[in-house]
Order: sequence, then structure tokens, then C-alpha cells
Amino acid sequence: MLDQKLSLEILKATARIASSTPHLDQILSQIIDVVKNKMNIDACSIFLIDDAEKVSLKAFSGYGVDETANLSLNMGQGITGWVARHKNTLALREAMQDPRFVFIPNMEEEQFQSMLSVPILREEQCIGVANVHTRDKRYFSPVEILVLETIADQVAGCISNALVYAKNQMMIKELSILYDVSLGAQSTLNPELGLWVILSGITRGEAGGFNRAILFTVEDGELIGTMGLGPDSPEDAQRIWTELDGEGKEYQIAQKMISEEEKDEYSKSNFNKFAKTLRYPLKENDNVLAEAALKRKIVHVENCAGHPLVSDEFCQTFGVDSFAAVPLTAHDEVLGVIFTDNRYNAKPITQTSLHLLARFAAHAGWVLENSRLISRLVATNRELLSMKDRLIETEKLSALGRLSAEVAHEIKNPIVSIGGFARRLKDKFMENHEASQNRQEEESALNYANIIFEETQKLERLLKDILTYPKTGDLNLEICNPDQLIQESLDAFKTLLLGQDVKIETHIQKDLSPALIDPIKIKQVINNILSNALESMPRGGKIKVSVYLVDSDKDEEQSFLTIHIEDSGGGIPDQALDNIFNPFFTTKKTGTGLGLSICRKIVENHGGTLRVENFKNKGVGVFILLPLKNSRDCTKKEHPSDGRPEIFFDEQT
Amino acid sequence: MKEKKKKKILIADDEDNIRFLYKEELEDEGYDVCLASDAEETLAMAREERPDLVTLDIKMPGMDGLELLGILKKENNDVPVILCSAYGSYKQDFRVWSSDAYVVKSADLKELKSTIKEILVSSGK
Ligand SMILES: Nc1ncnc2c1ncn2[C@@H]1O[C@H](COP(=O)(O)OP(=O)(O)OP(=O)(O)O)[C@@H](O)[C@H]1O
Ligand SMILES: [Mg+2]
Repeated sequence: MLDQKLSLEILKATARIASSTPHLDQILSQIIDVVKNKMNIDACSIFLIDDAEKVSLKAFSGYGVDETANLSLNMGQGITGWVARHKNTLALREAMQDPRFVFIPNMEEEQFQSMLSVPILREEQCIGVANVHTRDKRYFSPVEILVLETIADQVAGCISNALVYAKNQMMIKELSILYDVSLGAQSTLNPELGLWVILSGITRGEAGGFNRAILFTVEDGELIGTMGLGPDSPEDAQRIWTELDGEGKEYQIAQKMISEEEKDEYSKSNFNKFAKTLRYPLKENDNVLAEAALKRKIVHVENCAGHPLVSDEFCQTFGVDSFAAVPLTAHDEVLGVIFTDNRYNAKPITQTSLHLLARFAAHAGWVLENSRLISRLVATNRELLSMKDRLIETEKLSALGRLSAEVAHEIKNPIVSIGGFARRLKDKFMENHEASQNRQEEESALNYANIIFEETQKLERLLKDILTYPKTGDLNLEICNPDQLIQESLDAFKTLLLGQDVKIETHIQKDLSPALIDPIKIKQVINNILSNALESMPRGGKIKVSVYLVDSDKDEEQSFLTIHIEDSGGGIPDQALDNIFNPFFTTKKTGTGLGLSICRKIVENHGGTLRVENFKNKGVGVFILLPLKNSRDCTKKEHPSDGRPEIFFDEQT
Repeated sequence: MKEKKKKKILIADDEDNIRFLYKEELEDEGYDVCLASDAEETLAMAREERPDLVTLDIKMPGMDGLELLGILKKENNDVPVILCSAYGSYKQDFRVWSSDAYVVKSADLKELKSTIKEILVSSGK
């Protein structure tokens, strides 16, 4: 019999337990110990009712039940089930005689004569049942009943607390993980790192708690395995979990950013390598991953066998029966899928973890989107930088151009007269040569004059190149007939071929439409390229010139006049190839090295491109591509019939 | 038929040696040559000597060769003028177009000589 003092003691003890810890399991088992010891009874148990209306044994003492037994009753089943359904206390002196008694295997309730069963109520709902049993027949006193009912109330309170606590814990965890993920994704410009953070959120510690996760990204109508995080084997899994345990159970993921080394370790793992071998078509009704991506829903497969979209092969590849796949989206666009499973501990995938997974997936989607934006930004940036470099180069060259134009002009006149008189000297000697008595002396004087003349010719060429170095946009556009232009260039060039064993072959497409170009400049380009070709074949060879139209692959309206000049001069040596467009780069004794850089400048000023194709030991092909679209736009600008505008001089000057 | 008179060419250039070179070369070619070293002299000579052709350096002290070209042409539009310059970039200046030819100076006078011959033939002088 329970006296009042003792019952107060019991209640005080259970109340203390209830407020000592938020962990429900601990509370229940401690309460049971107190009840069993102090109430002078033989067994005590607490059942809780879950969402599925199952009345499950949560804590107990004094029964023959195995510690790990998963015992659960239906509502209304047995005495416990009746109490749960009717929310009424039952105190039975001879429990087994009661019509509501049902034999429950493993529980060994038969050994007890009397039983007191009280409902655990919260907000009018029955959320569980507390039972005590005695071997001897006993009438439970009103005090005993009251004590157990009060304890049941305390348990109800604890359960509420525990639920709130668990929910809070969950939310804190979620928040901290999500915080970590955003932090990881934001604080690094490296999107890969951000994605590793997310995958580790899904798999590590108390967070997502999944064993493995694989990120698939959408590329060209396929889901491509991009990265995978998880143990390589069961042993590996064991190792990781022991390590994690060492770090303390309350694993504070939020303070743990992934370092570069960790990232490297992740990407070197066999599992990641495995993940990268995976690819599945992004087709409807083809596979579950595509299903998750296309329908934009979480797919949770509990049993591979029999699932219409999971093939045996798929099961074998992953080695699991149960897994989940969540879509990654950003701006309504599917970017990929995350696959995740519990291969090593075979823990069932719960609703809660799926929810968390969905949130990770949302973040991963944004990280991916970010990474796309970033890579676009980086590309644009690179383009801008190279543009800047080229601008600087242009700037330098035009400064050089301005400076040298002044100097060159001052030098030009003296050179012309030096060269001119040297030539006259030479001519004079030549005239008198035959008649002269001093032949030998005159011969050498003639030679000297010749050298002076030739050197000045070289200087003149250099000056010409510098002085004609094109300034930006410096074009004098005219409508020209390409056919005629090429012919004129070739005619001018043919004089250089005299005495050389070089043949020129030409193929000019018929009916080429007129082009709006600067004829003098383009002739200069053609001449430069032809000269290079000629100079590459001192022992003779062949030059092939082809002229034809090429349609742009980007724009239908746009076509290019293409002048293709090929030689058989053996090509450009490797070490020179990178430099041929640099001003003043030359491999020739008499070259200025301005030829190709001038040509490119001129062609680019026309909005065209100059391309050099090098065939080692064979020759070089140069493509001059000039856009033709302009000529249609500009027909109105056509000059009067003779191609020259009329000239008016200002009367005042 | 009247005996062919020697053609007269006025060379306008501020560089003494260039003028001298041109004179020597053109006289060898069988022309009468008169010389001018600045803009004023050029205009005076053009009026006095009535040359069949003028070679004009674009860059001369005092007056810009292109300006001078305008005045020459206004006074006597018939006289052919060949512009000579140290470099080719003047070809873009539209005022150059009123000249009859444009020759870049060189120690090799072949181009100048053939241009002179062509112009004299085509102008029927
Ligand atoms: N058709 C070609 N075959 C072999 N090498 C070539 C050819 N074209 C160009 N090159 C190489 O590229 C270099 C640069 O050519 P570029 O025309 O710019 O200058 P260059 O010919 O040396 O001098 P410049 O043209 O000013 O007289 C040449 O010196 C030569 O080495
Ligand atoms: Mg060259």
C-alpha cells in the first residue's frame, strides 16, 4: 500500500526526472525505474501512440521481453489498446480474467495477476499508455491510481517537451546546415567547393545523415554524374563514423567549412570516380533520375524490385534497394538531380530527411546557377582583358606610328638623295666602263655605289612600312570589283617574279559581287602575302591564289570574300609560328617584320579576319576573309562614275 | 611639221639635294628643268616659265603643298601637277585628287619618270 508521503516522494522524483533532460528515452526509462522501485510493483511499461495509430512499447522494466523487441499493438487491442482508445484508466485485480485481455507473445504478461493501466493524455488526445503489473493479486488503491495518472500527465508533458525539443533541434540543425551551405556557396567563388559543402551537408553527421550522395547535372539531354560523396566501402564507412563520433555527437557542421584539402580528398575518392562514370538519358519514362528531374519531384524508391523506372542494372550499379532522388532547379529550369541512399547502415529514408534533402537540393540548384553565371562572368572578363591587352598594343603601335612617321619623314629626303646619287654614280661608271683604262678600280667603285644604292632601297622599304602602318579605321572605302582588284595585284606582283622559278596559279570564282573595301590597302595586303610566299621559295615553287565567296555560319546574310594564297615554301618553323604577327618579328635578313602585322590590321579594320595555316615541310596557306555585307548596306555611298568625288576648293583661301 | 620643242618641267621642292637630283635625272631624260624651293617661288615660276608640268613636294615650308596645289590649279587648270611626297598616307586627303598623279619619293626615279611621260602624252602636249 502506498502512503501519501511515499506517493509525494515518487511524484517529486519523477518531476525532477522530467525536467532534467530533454531526451525522452532517458526520461521514460528513469521514470519506470522510480515507479517500479517505489510503488512496490513487479513490472512497469510505457507505450506511445504514433502517427499510424500504432501503440508501441517504448520503455519497460520487469517483463521477459527482449531489450530490442519491437512490440506494438493496434488501437483497441488488448487492455492497453482499450485504454488507449477509451482514454480511461483500468485497474484490474485479475487482469487475465478480463474479457479485454489478449495474449501478447513475448510480453509474458501471463505471469502477472493484477494490472493498472492509465492513458497518457495530451490536449484531450491519448498519446500513450502507462501500465504497472503485480504478480500477486492486488487492489490498486485510489492513491496509487492517482499517482500513476499524475505520472502519466508528467510523461505527457515530457513528450510535448521532447517533441518541441526535437523539432527545435531539427530546425537548429537544418538552419545551421543551410547556413553552412549558403556560407560555403557564397564565400567561395569556386562553385565546386559550394557543391561539396552541400553534398557533405547531405551525408555528414547529424545533418542529412544519408550514407552517400551523387550530384548529376544536365548536359545536352543527359544526366551526367558530376560528383559523389560517400564511403568507398563498408570498412570505409565504419572508419568515417568512428572518426565522426570522436568529434563529439553534437557535430557542429556550421563551424566547419570545407577546406581545399578536403575537397581534393573528396574528389580523389573512389566513390567520386565512380559517380563520374554515371550517365543517364534525360528522357521521360526512361529512368527514375530523369523522372525526378523532368517531373520536378522527389522520388523515393523503397524497393527497387518491381519499380517500373528502376532497372535491375540500375539497382546493381548502386547496390541498394532503396534510395531517393531530388531535382535541382533554378529559375524553373532543371539543372540536375541528387541521388542519395543509406547503403551502409540501411537506415530507412524518413519523411524528415527527405524534406531536408529537398532544401539542400534547392541550395544546390542555386549554387549551380551561380556557377553558371560565374563562369559566364569569368569568360566575359577574360575576353575584356584580352581586348584590353589588344587595345594597349594598338595604342602602343599607333604611338609608335605617330613618332616614327615624324622621324621617318625627316630621314626620307636624305635617303632619297643619297640613294639617287649613288645610282647616278653607278650609271655614270657603267657608261664609261667599257672605254676606261682603270677597269679594276672602277669596278670596285661601281660596286660601292651599288651597295649604297641597295642599302638605301632597304631603308626606303623600312620607312615605307613604318609610314604606312595602318592607323585604326583609317580606310578609304570604295565599291570594287574583286576580280579586277586581284588581277591588278597579281599584275603588279608579276614583275617581282622575273628570273624566279615560281609559278602562279589562280582560281577566281565567276560573278563575284562587288565589295566595299579600301582597294589600295587590300592590294597592299595581297602584295605582302604574295611577297612572303615568294620569299619562302628561293629555289622556286608554286603559288596558288583562289578567290571565292564563303557564307558565314553565323549569319545567313553575311558572306565573306575569301582570298586564299598558298605556297610551297616549306612552312613556318615552330619557334616562329607564335610570333609571325608581332610587329618587327622577322626571320629574314632584309625583312622589317611588319608585313603580316600590317596585313592583319588592315583586314581587321575591314571587319574581316586573316588566318594563317601552317603545313610543316609543305607550305603556308593564308586566308584573307573580308565581309561582304557592308557593300549592300553602303551602295548609296557610291562615288560618281569615275570613282572620285568632285572637288571644291574654298574660294576664301 | 614643227620640230618638237623640249618639254619644260618645274620642280618644286625645299630640299636642295632632291631638287638637284631631279634636275640631273630629268635633264638626262631630255626635259628642260626649272627649279623652285618654296611656295612663292613656285607660283612665280609657274607664271613666268609656263611649264608643261609641275612636280610638287607636298611638304614645303611656308605653304602646305596641298594648298599650293589648289592655287596653282585655280590659276591655270591646264597644267598637270604631280604630287611628290615622302610617304603615301596623303593619298587619303581628298585634295590630293585634284592633282594628276601622286608619286612617293624614292631614290629610284623610275616611277616618277614614267608618270611624267604618261601625263605629258595624255595631256597631248
Ligand atoms: N609564306 C611563308 N612561308 C614561310 N614563312 C613565312 C611565310 N609568311 C611569313 N613567314 C614568316 O613570318 C615572318 C613574319 O612575316 P612578315 O611578313 O610579318 O615579315 P617579313 O616578311 O619578315 O618582313 P616584311 O614583310 O616586313 O618585309 C617571316 O619573317 C617568316 O619567318
Ligand atoms: Mg613579309
